[in-house]
Amino acid sequence: MAELNVLGFHAGNSVLHQLDVRFKLLFLVVISLSSLNAFIPSLVLLTLVLMVALKHAGLPLKMALKDLRYVLLLLLFVFMARSLSVPGSPVVEFKGVTVTREGLYEGAIVCWRLVIVIMTGLLFVLTTRSSEIKAAVEWMLKPFPFIPAKRIAIMMSLVVRFIPIIFEQAKKTMEAQRARGVENRKNPVYRLKMFSIPFMRRIFERADKLVLAMEARCYSENRTDSLLSSGVKDWIALAGVVCLCLIIIT
Amino acid sequence: MNIIEIENLSHRFADGTVGLENINLSISEGAFVVIAGRNGSGKTTLLKHLNGLLLPTKGVVTLFGRSVAKNLTWSRQMVGMVFQDADSQIVGETVSDDVAFGPENLCLDRTEVNRRVSLALETVGLHHHKDQKPHLLSGGEKRRLAIAGILAMEPKVLIFDEPFSSLDYPGVKEVLAQMISLHQAGHTIIVAAHDLEKLIAHTDRLVIMEKGGIVRDDLPSYLLGDLEVFGIREPCASRLGMEVHSWLN
Repeated sequence: MAELNVLGFHAGNSVLHQLDVRFKLLFLVVISLSSLNAFIPSLVLLTLVLMVALKHAGLPLKMALKDLRYVLLLLLFVFMARSLSVPGSPVVEFKGVTVTREGLYEGAIVCWRLVIVIMTGLLFVLTTRSSEIKAAVEWMLKPFPFIPAKRIAIMMSLVVRFIPIIFEQAKKTMEAQRARGVENRKNPVYRLKMFSIPFMRRIFERADKLVLAMEARCYSENRTDSLLSSGVKDWIALAGVVCLCLIIIT
Repeated sequence: MNIIEIENLSHRFADGTVGLENINLSISEGAFVVIAGRNGSGKTTLLKHLNGLLLPTKGVVTLFGRSVAKNLTWSRQMVGMVFQDADSQIVGETVSDDVAFGPENLCLDRTEVNRRVSLALETVGLHHHKDQKPHLLSGGEKRRLAIAGILAMEPKVLIFDEPFSSLDYPGVKEVLAQMISLHQAGHTIIVAAHDLEKLIAHTDRLVIMEKGGIVRDDLPSYLLGDLEVFGIREPCASRLGMEVHSWLN
């Protein structure tokens, strides 16, 4: 059996699953933008709200952390870069490299904001089918006459659909290489080369097979779209999100 | 009545390799045909011409008298194909989303899509998994999901490319039972396989391919002795001089 992957839709009956995808897309943008202007008290509030929402949506936290471990590495890198580059009162000095108090604070705040954006995105992906995302993007792009709304929407939904497959292939490639002792080679360039070539080949082969399977099932840009319908729940949620964002930015 | 007619079909790949050479074949409605041959003999290439995934370099493939090449969408609706790698065929995030993919491509209204999805899932016995992620299903269940995905398009012909590859014994029995039940329901079944052990008791016609051409086409019982010449293992019971029985018994 394949392992679960958090980076994809999980069927459920939570309120978040039932909300109109257009509202959820709006919430994603508004909360992400607001978080960029948030400081510690607002970030604490946002984190708590999002953690409750993720729990409500049925996210297995341990698994999420495992799947997102490479993102955590990226955050660590961002934190280190900030700590070392922002001028201020030094905390640690070693061979001309200075870590400042202001740098540590700013690094922590930037990483925290990024975590908020990731959590919001995760919540969106977890509770929304890619076919719904496609329908919402198409609906939003409809008023713009020169933008090929259908094509862009399909490309977006396919990207969302393909993310778990890319992770799965990366895992398989790494396992196959570990089984043949790649960890004994210390040169990171060699390891990257030996990983990326078969990995990319497999991804393209998988994409080819997917295209063939989709063609065999009459795939075209014109297809039955998901039904988009908003209700009282969506407007109540919108009011809640607007209040939350006002608290954050004031 | 012949449902599929193939006349002088040849196919050359872009690099010049010969895929198929002068194939002539007719398949009657309701038949259960097995196309056998060693790896690279052209089985999958031939199957892909039946729903226009590949187009002939020379020759014609017709379905109900209509050219496949000129009626691609219709042909793909009429001829459903279950691929060798069931994982690559899965496009939906849940079992029911995946089954709905085909009917949605046919631009059917939502009520009809939902009706077909329920019916197809009932047929293959996966209705209780409808909200599950497809990648979490077992091998046999994935293969049955792939079958449901094409049944929802209401095809007349079902093509299976190596349907038992990488399946365990219960998985083989599940898929075989499904194929037989679909045949009994009136579908025309065409199967590409290199191992006949599991299928031979149920098929009424055996076509053997070699180097892109058809070298034998007859009742399976007449061809059992010839199989190993073409790189196909003779079923165990037949080797021992016994009658070949179904894997379902």
